[in-house]
Amino acid sequence: MKLRHSFRTRLFAGFLLASLLPLLLCSAMLLQIFRLRMDTQAQEESQEQLDHVISVLDGLYAGFRQTSLALQASPYVAPALAQGQQDSAMVYSELYSATEGSRSSAQFDLYDREGIWRYSTQSFPIYQEMPIHWGVLHAARQSDGLVFSQVEGSGEGNSAPLFQGAAHLTTPDGRDAGYLVITMTRDDFHQLLDGTYGSQNDLLLLNQYWRPVYASQSALADTLAPRLREQLLAGEALHQEGDEFAYGTALQEEMGLYAVLQLPQALNQSTRGLLTTVTVGSALVCVVISILMGLRLSRQMFYPIERLHSAIGEVAHNNLDVYVPPYQNDELGQLAQRFNGMLVALKHNQEQLVENQRELNQAQIRMLQAQLNPHFLCNTLDTMKWISKINQVPQVALMSTNLADILRFCISPEEFVPLRREVEILQRYIEIQKIRLSGAFSFHAEIPPELEDCLVPKMILQPIVENAILHGLDGVEDGHIQIQAERVGETLLKIVVTDNGKGLPQDMTGAYAHRSRELSRGHLGLYNVDTILRKYYGEDFGLYLSAGPLGRGAVVSATLPLRREEEPEC
Amino acid sequence: MNIPARRRLLSLVLACLLTASGCALERSAPALSAFVPSEEDRLVVYTSHKEEVYQPIIKEFEERTGIWVELVPGGTNELLERLAEEKDRPKADVMFGGGVDSLEAYRDCFTPYFCQDWALLTPSMRSSDGLWTPFSALPVVLIYNTKLVPQGRLTAWQDLFSPAWQGRIAFCDPSISGSSFTGLVTLLRAVGGDVDDTLMAFAVSLDGRQLSSSGDVLTSVASGTDLVGITLEETALKRVAAGDDIALVYPADGTSCVPDGGAMVKNAPHPENAQLFLDFISGEDVQRRMEESFSRRPIRSVPDHSQALLPLSEISLVDYDISWASEHHNGVLMSWAFFLGGGEQP
Repeated sequence: MKLRHSFRTRLFAGFLLASLLPLLLCSAMLLQIFRLRMDTQAQEESQEQLDHVISVLDGLYAGFRQTSLALQASPYVAPALAQGQQDSAMVYSELYSATEGSRSSAQFDLYDREGIWRYSTQSFPIYQEMPIHWGVLHAARQSDGLVFSQVEGSGEGNSAPLFQGAAHLTTPDGRDAGYLVITMTRDDFHQLLDGTYGSQNDLLLLNQYWRPVYASQSALADTLAPRLREQLLAGEALHQEGDEFAYGTALQEEMGLYAVLQLPQALNQSTRGLLTTVTVGSALVCVVISILMGLRLSRQMFYPIERLHSAIGEVAHNNLDVYVPPYQNDELGQLAQRFNGMLVALKHNQEQLVENQRELNQAQIRMLQAQLNPHFLCNTLDTMKWISKINQVPQVALMSTNLADILRFCISPEEFVPLRREVEILQRYIEIQKIRLSGAFSFHAEIPPELEDCLVPKMILQPIVENAILHGLDGVEDGHIQIQAERVGETLLKIVVTDNGKGLPQDMTGAYAHRSRELSRGHLGLYNVDTILRKYYGEDFGLYLSAGPLGRGAVVSATLPLRREEEPEC
Repeated sequence: MNIPARRRLLSLVLACLLTASGCALERSAPALSAFVPSEEDRLVVYTSHKEEVYQPIIKEFEERTGIWVELVPGGTNELLERLAEEKDRPKADVMFGGGVDSLEAYRDCFTPYFCQDWALLTPSMRSSDGLWTPFSALPVVLIYNTKLVPQGRLTAWQDLFSPAWQGRIAFCDPSISGSSFTGLVTLLRAVGGDVDDTLMAFAVSLDGRQLSSSGDVLTSVASGTDLVGITLEETALKRVAAGDDIALVYPADGTSCVPDGGAMVKNAPHPENAQLFLDFISGEDVQRRMEESFSRRPIRSVPDHSQALLPLSEISLVDYDISWASEHHNGVLMSWAFFLGGGEQP
């Protein structure tokens, strides 16, 4: 028999669900909480670092601004630029004092209004000449203050200029004098910003239009910056799915510099991989444990059930000699014990049944033996009846007629007959016995008409009456035998045979049942009747023997269930 | 509790957990959106120029106008094809680069715009209907290897038919290079006479051999593989400045000076910014800068610029008809392929 949801599978699934689900939920939640915390922390940290970067840039700008204001205000610088070579020492003095605070972070050059270099804080200018219709000088002329611009096509190397600021200088009377140009190289940025952002982070400075100005790792300017710009323009977040880095952004407004901090993801790939491995590992352990537990428990339950199952199968095939050993002292062990007990009872019952059947058969065989060759006897008796009639011996004719009727009754196939008929046949028997014993006793049957059609086993009265005649009335004058039928309660029929003969031996009174056949020797008729009654109707029924009234004679009563002719036999 | 109710409770708990984890995933984005430029401050430019050319222009444009430029670099034909494909929903505002004859060929994709200084542009360099705005004038020149060819031997287109050069002329396949096609048409104009005869004679001079990239012309002449070659002034000057052994010849029988340029895409998403851009590239500052830094010949007069280039007025020009060239583009190329292949199979 194939089970659709075997107990074992369900057990396994149950274990798996109970162990795996909480594990996975816990893992997922822990991972999220962990990640959230790390992210928040990283975000705070990056904000702090960005603030630091911006404050450094603010400081730088303040210095630049001061320089440009000082130079503009100087009475020497603008005229010197406007009118060509004058007192260069004065101009240098002004330049150095104006650039006091910020000279270490940038190079300051002065160009005349044609864009030709004149003065520098370094030994060499960055450019001998700068276009005045292009780039930062053009922008400076258009604006009042400092303007800043990324240097186009800046070269490689640490001294490459990356970022320029310029201010237009005018003479006090408003004439075009020249330009202050502030140039920052990669080195300058490096010195300025190193240490403001974390060591494992990278910093990117972008101009107003997100084109790279400076990158802490120069390769980032070519690779990362264009991508970030694209993402910004597309309106996407800078951090992309699967990216190893997170980004923070801040703006230094005056210089138009965006600082982009690239920091490694708080939960990087390897950590995530580790967590996943641990989770998967735990899940696998759960699965294995679930399988083992499922197998073990199901085996513990399955074995006894299987044994019980096969034992029941054996019983179904009528083998009662099975025994289920109760291995464990638990519910299943008890079940096995109960089953064994049930089998023992069943076996006993069946043996009892077989024994009953055997005994009944023996009784019937004995009866048949007594009816040896009845047809021959019947026919002979009929012949005798006619011969005696011809020869005018009426007693012989009567006797043979009665005997033939009795014999016919005996060999009729019915096992149960109406009480009326039983009494009729009994009377034939009495007639024969009267002739044999020369009418030494009287007989009287008293059957209420409503009981006449009650069914009784065939030939149960004759042995009782015979017993009374042979043993009770032997040698008794004026003997009398009486048969009475009465109803006891609703369901029982009691037939009482009373005689006034010698009475019963003392040890025979009481219920006839449970006597060995040895004891009944000589009273085989009574024994047979009692056996038949008990086998037909059960142990509660049978013959009851007692002494007659006034201590004379014997009373034999048979009690049996009240059944009518029309009722079906059971 | 019956089973459906229990299930419902379970799914509720699960949903809550998932939502909680989902919320954790949602990051509070920094105020990045504040940095994103608005749509009015944007411009999308398709360019076929080299990075060294477009980069300073774009940077300067951004700084002067405050407009964010999104660049899509690519080859001229590739970008023009893309424009034609996107005609119904154009993404680009401006096509920047490519000979104006190529732009003419895709005139359906563009919308006319007369730039601010249109009146100041060199008349031969400007579009009469404003379809395109010129950027640089690109005269076709002849080059020769200074070590192998004495000065004065090569002066005109006519000289190319001399048997002395046969098989030693560097010329790029005109079906690949637009400038090479311009060169071929210029040759036809300069030599005059029947087109097919000239093509056949030139094919003989080439000995049926042509190069597959316009850059190869310079390399081939500089290395001495070829003696002479046909290329653009700007390219040749760049190589001269780099120190290669080549010299330029402006053909005495005239050359063409077809500009490259930019054009505004029809139905451009940011038309005003596109106009600003076209004004800018034809403006004085850009023109001056291009001449000074990239030997690109301006398409307008620029006051007080350094006279690095031979003035256009001193170069004899043929009457190069751009519309004739674009109309006969395929015909000329077909004849050319025929004659170059030996003339047996039409």
